[in-house]
Amino acid sequence: MRVSGYRYLIALLLIGWGCPALAASDAPVDQTTIEMNRKANEACYACHSAAGIAKPPKADIDMSKLKDSRLEPTIYNPSDHGVMDCRECHSKTHYTDYPHAEAGKSETVGCTACHAAKVLRLEPQFNASVHAKVQGVKEKFTCFTCHNPHINIVQKRLQDPAKIVAQDNHGCLECHNSSEMFAKFAPEGEKTPGLKKLRPDIDTIHDWLPNAKAHWQSVRCIECHTPEVAENKMLSHEILDKEKSEKKCLSCHSANSTLKARLYRHMVKDEQQKYGFTNSVLLSNSYIIGATRHPLLDSIIIALVIATLLGVLLHGAIRIVMSLRRKKEESQ
Amino acid sequence: MSERVYLLPLWIRLWHWTNALLIITLTITGVSLHFADPKLPLVEFSLAARIHDLAGLALVAAYGFFVIANIVSGNWWQYVPKPPGILDRCMKQARWYLWGIFKGEPHPYPVTLEVNFNAMQALIYWFIMYLMMPTLLITGLIFMFPQFAPDRVFDMDGLLPVAVLHYLTGTVIVLFMIAHMYLGTTGHTVTTMFKTMITGWHEH
Repeated sequence: MRVSGYRYLIALLLIGWGCPALAASDAPVDQTTIEMNRKANEACYACHSAAGIAKPPKADIDMSKLKDSRLEPTIYNPSDHGVMDCRECHSKTHYTDYPHAEAGKSETVGCTACHAAKVLRLEPQFNASVHAKVQGVKEKFTCFTCHNPHINIVQKRLQDPAKIVAQDNHGCLECHNSSEMFAKFAPEGEKTPGLKKLRPDIDTIHDWLPNAKAHWQSVRCIECHTPEVAENKMLSHEILDKEKSEKKCLSCHSANSTLKARLYRHMVKDEQQKYGFTNSVLLSNSYIIGATRHPLLDSIIIALVIATLLGVLLHGAIRIVMSLRRKKEESQ
Repeated sequence: MSERVYLLPLWIRLWHWTNALLIITLTITGVSLHFADPKLPLVEFSLAARIHDLAGLALVAAYGFFVIANIVSGNWWQYVPKPPGILDRCMKQARWYLWGIFKGEPHPYPVTLEVNFNAMQALIYWFIMYLMMPTLLITGLIFMFPQFAPDRVFDMDGLLPVAVLHYLTGTVIVLFMIAHMYLGTTGHTVTTMFKTMITGWHEH
């Protein structure tokens, strides 16, 4: 999360002065603006999309250079930034004509330009994160390393926990499940001087976790790899290493499951104990043993077990008493 | 002077005690998982999950052995309540458990080589072994491999009905186990039936 101090300060001041153009807002964008922006973006997709690369608008364009800068409107449009004109971030001055001026590359607007207040709040968290504490890694990290601004959709809009899990875990696994990507960020290995640290195998380091693969499909890496979070608060950007991360299964697998404040925090307000189940909003996506219980059914079952135990104890006691009585009668 | 008859072959006894050990293990770990709570000091969750998985798979194997051995040996016939008068014999047996046993009356249907189980026993054992156990084991296996669970049921995760069925059948087995262990004391002496299950010899 590299933030230039100068630009950071400017952004903060602009927000302070109420500059709407540079401050991210939850207010809906009007339909006319969206249509205008999407129309403008069509000029970009003419080259920067699979269709554009397959059928270039001009014969003399080297499309091979675009393989890392292509996007599909079907992916970008539903994303959080999908209502915006590409040139809101990608150089308004240099990316209006073709060929683009080289200077445009350095003028891409960073996240801080709009999200300065959030960055200000998150930066100390990131600085405490495992990614910032390893020498030489912090400098390589930007918001984009984990958050893809062309694709990502915020939890509240995405709604479906399965989709949230797939999106957010992709951000982690893109590096942690790819040796090639991991090597781009990895520092020198402690045991391998002069060589980069090798990527630890994701299955091996999680072998303590029962049904690890089922977990990765149902919850996000950050459920365990971020510090405890209060209800209605945003998850911390402090990513915890294996020593500090959550290993207590009961944090999620209990009636007071922390998942309510994490993966399901956008749904908790709708909790209605559906069909009598505790944490029924969790059940909308996953049955989580220990967390998604039916208190009435549990009470009936406990009562049945107690009744059976008392029943056999009573039966046994009567047998003993009657047997003693018989022996007494026989001896008389 | 009591009579002795060699009633239970080695395979039944080995299967029975393996089954008993596994079901007790599964009960303890199952309770630890279902009623997981930081205030309830039971088996640690991840350990309970691993033990429950392993013991569950062992129980599936033990059940497979039970079914095959029952077919091969013909022992399955013992589990079939034979007409006529099944209900009357069940009533007579129930009356003995609720009254006759206190008065010191003899068992209404003494065990023979040909008929090990009284009608009530055969009916309950059949219900447990051929209805409850397969349901418990199949739901347990789906729990272990959730990709085989229905995707969604009543707008909730499809694993929910599987889990509830597993919980309910598990409870029935636990209730049966409590009664079964207690009724084991109702032989010629309190320990007679336990000895039979160890040595194979039954005392009248």
